[in-house]
Amino acid sequence: MSTRQITLSVRRMMHVSAVMQIALLILIWQAGEAIVHLLDLPVPGSVIGLFFVLVLLGTGRINIVSLRSGAKFLLAEMLLFFIPAVLAVLDHREFLGLLGLKIFAVILFGATTVMIVTALAVDISYRLMMRFGESHARGH
Amino acid sequence: MPAAIETLLASIFWPAATIGVYLAARQVYRRWPSPWLSPLLVAPVVLIALALLLKQSYAQYIHVTHWLVAMLGPATVAFAVPIYEQRATIRRYWPALAFGVVVGSATAMVSAWGLASLLSIDGTLRLSLMARSFSTPFAMTVSKDIGGVPDLTAIFVVVTGVLGAALGDLLMGFLPLKSAMARGALFGMGAHGAGVARANEIGREEGSIASLVMVLVGLVNVLFAPLLSILLR
Repeated sequence: MSTRQITLSVRRMMHVSAVMQIALLILIWQAGEAIVHLLDLPVPGSVIGLFFVLVLLGTGRINIVSLRSGAKFLLAEMLLFFIPAVLAVLDHREFLGLLGLKIFAVILFGATTVMIVTALAVDISYRLMMRFGESHARGH
Repeated sequence: MPAAIETLLASIFWPAATIGVYLAARQVYRRWPSPWLSPLLVAPVVLIALALLLKQSYAQYIHVTHWLVAMLGPATVAFAVPIYEQRATIRRYWPALAFGVVVGSATAMVSAWGLASLLSIDGTLRLSLMARSFSTPFAMTVSKDIGGVPDLTAIFVVVTGVLGAALGDLLMGFLPLKSAMARGALFGMGAHGAGVARANEIGREEGSIASLVMVLVGLVNVLFAPLLSILLR
Protein backbone atom coordinates (compact mmCIF):
# COMPACT_ATOMS: atom_id res chain seq x y z
CA MET A 1 0.00 0.00 0.00
CA SER A 2 1.42 3.41 -0.89
CA THR A 3 1.58 6.29 1.56
CA ARG A 4 -1.18 8.01 -0.37
CA GLN A 5 -3.47 5.00 -0.06
CA ILE A 6 -2.82 4.82 3.68
CA THR A 7 -3.54 8.54 4.07
CA LEU A 8 -6.78 8.13 2.13
CA SER A 9 -7.99 5.14 4.11
CA VAL A 10 -7.16 6.87 7.43
CA ARG A 11 -9.06 9.92 6.21
CA ARG A 12 -12.07 7.80 5.23
CA MET A 13 -12.06 6.11 8.63
CA MET A 14 -11.95 9.49 10.40
CA HIS A 15 -14.91 10.69 8.36
CA VAL A 16 -17.16 7.81 9.41
CA SER A 17 -16.09 6.69 12.88
CA ALA A 18 -17.31 8.84 15.79
CA VAL A 19 -15.25 6.67 18.15
CA MET A 20 -12.04 7.51 16.27
CA GLN A 21 -13.02 11.19 16.33
CA ILE A 22 -13.53 11.09 20.10
CA ALA A 23 -10.15 9.37 20.43
CA LEU A 24 -8.58 12.19 18.39
CA LEU A 25 -10.26 14.83 20.61
CA ILE A 26 -8.92 13.06 23.71
CA LEU A 27 -5.44 12.97 22.15
CA ILE A 28 -5.55 16.71 21.37
CA TRP A 29 -6.77 17.46 24.91
CA GLN A 30 -3.88 15.42 26.37
CA ALA A 31 -1.42 17.28 24.12
CA GLY A 32 -2.88 20.55 25.44
CA GLU A 33 -2.43 19.36 29.03
CA ALA A 34 1.19 18.43 28.28
CA ILE A 35 1.90 21.88 26.83
CA VAL A 36 0.32 23.59 29.85
CA HIS A 37 2.39 21.42 32.17
CA LEU A 38 5.64 22.02 30.25
CA LEU A 39 5.25 25.79 29.91
CA ASP A 40 3.49 26.24 33.28
CA LEU A 41 0.59 28.17 31.68
CA PRO A 42 -2.34 29.45 33.80
CA VAL A 43 -4.86 28.12 31.23
CA PRO A 44 -6.58 24.68 31.17
CA GLY A 45 -5.09 22.26 28.62
CA SER A 46 -8.51 21.75 27.03
CA VAL A 47 -8.59 25.42 25.99
CA ILE A 48 -5.16 25.11 24.34
CA GLY A 49 -6.60 22.06 22.53
CA LEU A 50 -9.67 24.04 21.47
CA PHE A 51 -7.57 26.82 19.93
CA PHE A 52 -5.29 24.25 18.31
CA VAL A 53 -8.29 22.62 16.58
CA LEU A 54 -9.58 26.07 15.51
CA VAL A 55 -6.19 26.76 13.89
CA LEU A 56 -6.20 23.35 12.17
CA LEU A 57 -9.72 23.97 10.84
CA GLY A 58 -8.96 27.56 9.82
CA THR A 59 -5.82 26.63 7.88
CA GLY A 60 -7.59 23.70 6.21
CA ARG A 61 -5.22 21.09 7.69
CA ILE A 62 -8.17 19.13 9.01
CA ASN A 63 -11.64 18.73 7.52
CA ILE A 64 -14.55 19.52 9.83
CA VAL A 65 -16.18 16.22 8.77
CA SER A 66 -13.30 14.42 10.53
CA LEU A 67 -14.48 15.78 13.90
CA ARG A 68 -18.16 16.65 13.61
CA SER A 69 -19.93 13.48 14.76
CA GLY A 70 -17.49 12.82 17.62
CA ALA A 71 -17.77 16.43 18.79
CA LYS A 72 -21.54 16.31 18.52
CA PHE A 73 -21.69 13.21 20.73
CA LEU A 74 -19.46 14.68 23.45
CA LEU A 75 -21.39 17.96 23.49
CA ALA A 76 -24.78 16.25 23.55
CA GLU A 77 -23.83 14.16 26.60
CA MET A 78 -21.91 16.90 28.41
CA LEU A 79 -24.31 17.06 31.36
CA LEU A 80 -23.29 13.51 32.32
CA PHE A 81 -19.71 14.66 32.92
CA PHE A 82 -20.83 17.21 35.53
CA ILE A 83 -22.88 14.80 37.61
CA PRO A 84 -20.09 13.09 39.62
CA ALA A 85 -18.76 16.52 40.72
CA VAL A 86 -22.11 17.40 42.33
CA LEU A 87 -21.71 14.52 44.79
CA ALA A 88 -18.97 16.56 46.50
CA VAL A 89 -21.89 17.90 48.55
CA LEU A 90 -21.61 14.60 50.51
CA ASP A 91 -18.39 15.98 52.04
CA HIS A 92 -19.90 19.33 52.96
CA ARG A 93 -22.80 18.65 55.29
CA GLU A 94 -22.23 22.12 56.82
CA PHE A 95 -24.00 23.51 53.75
CA LEU A 96 -27.20 21.69 54.70
CA GLY A 97 -28.18 24.41 57.22
CA LEU A 98 -28.53 28.21 57.27
CA LEU A 99 -25.11 28.69 55.64
CA GLY A 100 -26.26 26.59 52.69
CA LEU A 101 -29.39 28.72 52.33
CA LYS A 102 -27.31 31.91 52.38
CA ILE A 103 -24.92 30.56 49.75
CA PHE A 104 -27.90 29.42 47.69
CA ALA A 105 -29.31 32.97 47.87
CA VAL A 106 -25.98 34.52 46.80
CA ILE A 107 -25.77 32.17 43.81
CA LEU A 108 -29.46 32.55 42.88
CA PHE A 109 -29.50 36.37 42.89
CA GLY A 110 -25.94 36.60 41.54
CA ALA A 111 -26.68 34.34 38.57
CA THR A 112 -29.96 36.16 37.82
CA THR A 113 -28.22 39.56 37.82
CA VAL A 114 -25.32 38.33 35.71
CA MET A 115 -27.61 36.71 33.13
CA ILE A 116 -29.90 39.73 32.76
CA VAL A 117 -27.00 42.21 32.51
CA THR A 118 -25.01 40.08 30.03
CA ALA A 119 -27.97 39.26 27.77
CA LEU A 120 -29.11 42.90 27.63
CA ALA A 121 -25.54 44.16 27.05
CA VAL A 122 -25.08 41.82 24.09
CA ASP A 123 -28.56 42.39 22.68
CA ILE A 124 -28.36 46.19 22.86
CA SER A 125 -24.92 46.29 21.22
CA TYR A 126 -26.13 43.79 18.61
CA ARG A 127 -29.09 46.05 17.77
CA LEU A 128 -26.81 49.12 17.59
CA MET A 129 -24.47 47.25 15.24
CA MET A 130 -27.41 46.16 13.08
CA ARG A 131 -28.70 49.72 12.84
CA PHE A 132 -25.25 51.11 12.11
CA GLY A 133 -24.63 48.36 9.57
CA GLU A 134 -27.92 49.09 7.79
CA SER A 135 -27.50 52.89 7.59
CA HIS A 136 -23.90 52.31 6.50
CA ALA A 137 -25.10 50.01 3.72
CA ARG A 138 -27.78 52.48 2.65
CA GLY A 139 -25.22 55.33 2.48
CA HIS A 140 -23.35 53.50 -0.27
CA MET B 1 -15.59 -9.81 50.94
CA PRO B 2 -11.88 -9.21 50.14
CA ALA B 3 -11.00 -5.54 49.67
CA ALA B 4 -9.69 -6.04 46.12
CA ILE B 5 -12.97 -7.52 44.90
CA GLU B 6 -14.92 -4.79 46.66
CA THR B 7 -12.85 -2.12 44.89
CA LEU B 8 -13.31 -3.88 41.56
CA LEU B 9 -17.08 -4.08 42.08
CA ALA B 10 -17.24 -0.39 43.06
CA SER B 11 -15.26 0.63 39.98
CA ILE B 12 -17.84 -1.10 37.81
CA PHE B 13 -20.92 -0.26 39.88
CA TRP B 14 -20.56 3.53 40.32
CA PRO B 15 -19.76 4.49 36.71
CA ALA B 16 -22.57 2.17 35.53
CA ALA B 17 -24.98 3.60 38.12
CA THR B 18 -24.02 7.18 37.18
CA ILE B 19 -24.54 6.57 33.45
CA GLY B 20 -27.72 4.55 34.04
CA VAL B 21 -29.29 7.16 36.33
CA TYR B 22 -28.29 9.90 33.87
CA LEU B 23 -29.91 8.08 30.92
CA ALA B 24 -33.08 7.48 32.95
CA ALA B 25 -33.16 11.13 34.09
CA ARG B 26 -32.73 12.23 30.48
CA GLN B 27 -35.75 10.14 29.44
CA VAL B 28 -37.82 11.67 32.25
CA TYR B 29 -36.72 15.15 31.12
CA ARG B 30 -37.65 14.42 27.49
CA ARG B 31 -41.09 13.33 28.62
CA TRP B 32 -41.62 16.26 31.02
CA PRO B 33 -39.23 19.08 30.00
CA SER B 34 -39.39 21.25 33.15
CA PRO B 35 -36.26 23.01 34.48
CA TRP B 36 -36.87 21.29 37.85
CA LEU B 37 -36.55 17.91 36.16
CA SER B 38 -33.18 18.72 34.57
CA PRO B 39 -30.89 15.62 34.56
CA LEU B 40 -28.26 17.77 36.29
CA LEU B 41 -30.62 18.11 39.26
CA VAL B 42 -32.44 14.76 39.31
CA ALA B 43 -29.44 12.47 38.68
CA PRO B 44 -27.24 13.81 41.53
CA VAL B 45 -30.17 13.64 43.98
CA VAL B 46 -30.77 9.97 43.12
CA LEU B 47 -27.04 9.16 43.29
CA ILE B 48 -26.60 10.98 46.63
CA ALA B 49 -29.51 8.96 48.05
CA LEU B 50 -27.86 5.79 46.72
CA ALA B 51 -24.47 6.72 48.22
CA LEU B 52 -26.07 7.45 51.61
CA LEU B 53 -27.97 4.16 51.45
CA LEU B 54 -24.81 2.19 50.66
CA LYS B 55 -22.78 4.24 53.21
CA GLN B 56 -20.25 5.30 50.56
CA SER B 57 -18.18 8.46 50.94
CA TYR B 58 -17.53 11.05 48.23
CA ALA B 59 -13.86 9.96 48.12
CA GLN B 60 -14.88 6.35 47.40
CA TYR B 61 -17.36 7.50 44.75
CA ILE B 62 -15.16 10.01 42.90
CA HIS B 63 -12.17 7.66 42.95
CA VAL B 64 -13.93 5.39 40.44
CA THR B 65 -15.91 8.02 38.51
CA HIS B 66 -13.38 10.84 38.04
CA TRP B 67 -12.71 9.67 34.47
CA LEU B 68 -16.27 10.75 33.62
CA VAL B 69 -15.55 14.27 34.91
CA ALA B 70 -12.26 14.21 32.98
CA MET B 71 -14.30 13.84 29.76
CA LEU B 72 -15.09 17.55 30.16
CA GLY B 73 -11.56 18.05 28.74
CA PRO B 74 -12.19 16.54 25.28
CA ALA B 75 -15.74 18.02 25.40
CA THR B 76 -14.19 21.49 25.72
CA VAL B 77 -11.90 20.76 22.77
CA ALA B 78 -15.00 19.62 20.84
CA PHE B 79 -16.42 23.16 21.07
CA ALA B 80 -13.96 24.13 18.33
CA VAL B 81 -16.42 22.53 15.87
CA PRO B 82 -19.54 24.65 16.61
CA ILE B 83 -17.38 27.76 17.12
CA TYR B 84 -15.79 27.22 13.71
CA GLU B 85 -19.20 26.70 12.12
CA GLN B 86 -20.37 30.06 13.52
CA ARG B 87 -17.22 31.95 12.52
CA ALA B 88 -19.09 34.35 10.19
CA THR B 89 -21.45 35.56 12.95
CA ILE B 90 -18.60 35.78 15.44
CA ARG B 91 -16.36 37.76 13.08
CA ARG B 92 -19.19 40.18 12.35
CA TYR B 93 -20.45 40.76 15.89
CA TRP B 94 -17.36 40.28 18.05
CA PRO B 95 -17.62 43.76 19.65
CA ALA B 96 -21.07 42.86 21.04
CA LEU B 97 -19.69 39.59 22.43
CA ALA B 98 -16.59 41.24 23.89
CA PHE B 99 -18.75 43.89 25.57
CA GLY B 100 -21.01 41.20 27.05
CA VAL B 101 -18.02 39.22 28.37
CA VAL B 102 -16.46 42.23 30.12
CA VAL B 103 -19.72 43.59 31.57
CA GLY B 104 -20.85 40.08 32.59
CA SER B 105 -17.58 39.19 34.35
CA ALA B 106 -17.54 42.47 36.28
CA THR B 107 -21.18 41.94 37.31
CA ALA B 108 -20.42 38.37 38.43
CA MET B 109 -17.55 39.41 40.70
CA VAL B 110 -19.25 42.51 42.13
CA SER B 111 -22.62 40.80 42.72
CA ALA B 112 -21.00 37.81 44.47
CA TRP B 113 -18.94 40.11 46.69
CA GLY B 114 -21.90 42.39 47.46
CA LEU B 115 -24.47 39.67 48.11
CA ALA B 116 -22.04 37.65 50.27
CA SER B 117 -21.20 40.74 52.34
CA LEU B 118 -24.91 41.53 52.70
CA LEU B 119 -25.50 38.06 54.19
CA SER B 120 -22.35 38.36 56.33
CA ILE B 121 -20.42 35.67 54.49
CA ASP B 122 -16.76 36.66 54.50
CA GLY B 123 -13.20 35.39 54.32
CA THR B 124 -12.28 32.49 52.06
CA LEU B 125 -15.93 31.51 51.57
CA ARG B 126 -16.71 34.90 50.00
CA LEU B 127 -13.61 34.68 47.79
CA SER B 128 -14.58 31.12 46.76
CA LEU B 129 -18.02 32.40 45.75
CA MET B 130 -16.56 35.17 43.56
CA ALA B 131 -15.00 32.71 41.12
CA ARG B 132 -18.12 30.56 40.72
CA SER B 133 -19.28 32.13 37.43
CA PHE B 134 -16.51 30.57 35.32
CA SER B 135 -16.34 27.00 34.09
CA THR B 136 -14.65 24.59 36.51
CA PRO B 137 -10.97 24.55 35.43
CA PHE B 138 -10.86 28.35 35.15
CA ALA B 139 -12.88 28.88 38.32
CA MET B 140 -10.51 26.73 40.36
CA THR B 141 -7.48 28.63 39.02
CA VAL B 142 -9.06 32.03 39.72
CA SER B 143 -10.25 30.91 43.17
CA LYS B 144 -6.72 29.87 44.15
CA ASP B 145 -5.28 33.12 42.76
CA ILE B 146 -7.60 35.41 44.71
CA GLY B 147 -7.33 33.39 47.94
CA GLY B 148 -10.43 31.18 47.86
CA VAL B 149 -10.72 27.39 48.28
CA PRO B 150 -10.75 25.69 44.83
CA ASP B 151 -12.74 22.64 46.07
CA LEU B 152 -15.52 24.84 47.45
CA THR B 153 -15.56 26.89 44.26
CA ALA B 154 -16.01 23.66 42.26
CA ILE B 155 -19.22 22.92 44.21
CA PHE B 156 -20.49 26.49 43.75
CA VAL B 157 -19.74 26.27 40.04
CA VAL B 158 -21.95 23.20 39.71
CA VAL B 159 -24.77 24.77 41.76
CA THR B 160 -24.49 27.90 39.58
CA GLY B 161 -24.70 25.73 36.46
CA VAL B 162 -27.80 23.85 37.61
CA LEU B 163 -29.56 26.96 38.88
CA GLY B 164 -28.42 29.11 35.97
CA ALA B 165 -29.60 26.69 33.31
CA ALA B 166 -33.05 26.59 34.93
CA LEU B 167 -33.12 30.37 35.52
CA GLY B 168 -32.03 31.01 31.94
CA ASP B 169 -35.19 29.37 30.64
CA LEU B 170 -37.34 31.56 32.90
CA LEU B 171 -35.40 34.75 32.01
CA MET B 172 -35.64 34.09 28.27
CA GLY B 173 -39.42 34.16 28.68
CA PHE B 174 -39.58 37.81 29.70
CA LEU B 175 -36.37 39.48 28.44
CA PRO B 176 -37.00 41.13 25.05
CA LEU B 177 -34.00 39.48 23.34
CA LYS B 178 -33.86 39.92 19.58
CA SER B 179 -30.72 37.91 18.86
CA ALA B 180 -29.70 34.29 19.23
CA MET B 181 -26.37 35.77 20.27
CA ALA B 182 -27.81 37.39 23.40
CA ARG B 183 -29.57 34.13 24.34
CA GLY B 184 -26.30 32.23 23.89
CA ALA B 185 -24.34 34.81 25.91
CA LEU B 186 -26.93 34.61 28.71
CA PHE B 187 -26.35 30.87 29.14
CA GLY B 188 -22.59 30.92 28.55
CA MET B 189 -21.96 33.73 31.05
CA GLY B 190 -24.50 32.77 33.72
CA ALA B 191 -24.41 28.99 33.74
CA HIS B 192 -21.17 27.95 31.94
CA GLY B 193 -21.02 24.24 31.04
CA ALA B 194 -24.55 23.35 32.10
CA GLY B 195 -25.82 26.51 30.41
CA VAL B 196 -23.96 25.67 27.22
CA ALA B 197 -25.54 22.22 27.21
CA ARG B 198 -28.97 23.83 27.64
CA ALA B 199 -28.22 26.48 24.96
CA ASN B 200 -27.23 23.64 22.60
CA GLU B 201 -30.74 22.24 23.00
CA ILE B 202 -32.32 25.60 22.15
CA GLY B 203 -30.37 26.12 18.94
CA ARG B 204 -27.07 25.66 17.12
CA GLU B 205 -26.13 29.33 17.16
CA GLU B 206 -27.13 29.72 20.84
CA GLY B 207 -24.98 26.71 21.74
CA SER B 208 -21.85 27.81 19.93
CA ILE B 209 -22.10 31.41 21.15
CA ALA B 210 -22.61 30.12 24.70
CA SER B 211 -19.50 27.93 24.46
CA LEU B 212 -17.44 30.76 23.02
CA VAL B 213 -18.60 33.17 25.74
CA MET B 214 -17.84 30.57 28.43
CA VAL B 215 -14.28 30.10 27.15
CA LEU B 216 -13.69 33.86 26.72
CA VAL B 217 -15.00 34.63 30.22
CA GLY B 218 -12.66 31.99 31.65
CA LEU B 219 -9.65 33.32 29.75
CA VAL B 220 -10.30 36.98 30.59
CA ASN B 221 -10.68 36.17 34.28
CA VAL B 222 -7.66 33.90 34.54
CA LEU B 223 -5.62 36.75 33.03
CA PHE B 224 -7.10 39.34 35.40
CA ALA B 225 -7.09 37.22 38.56
CA PRO B 226 -3.54 38.14 39.64
CA LEU B 227 -4.52 41.82 39.34
CA LEU B 228 -7.73 41.23 41.27
CA SER B 229 -5.87 39.42 44.06
CA ILE B 230 -3.83 42.60 44.67
CA LEU B 231 -7.04 44.65 44.84
CA LEU B 232 -8.65 42.24 47.31
CA ARG B 233 -5.71 42.22 49.69
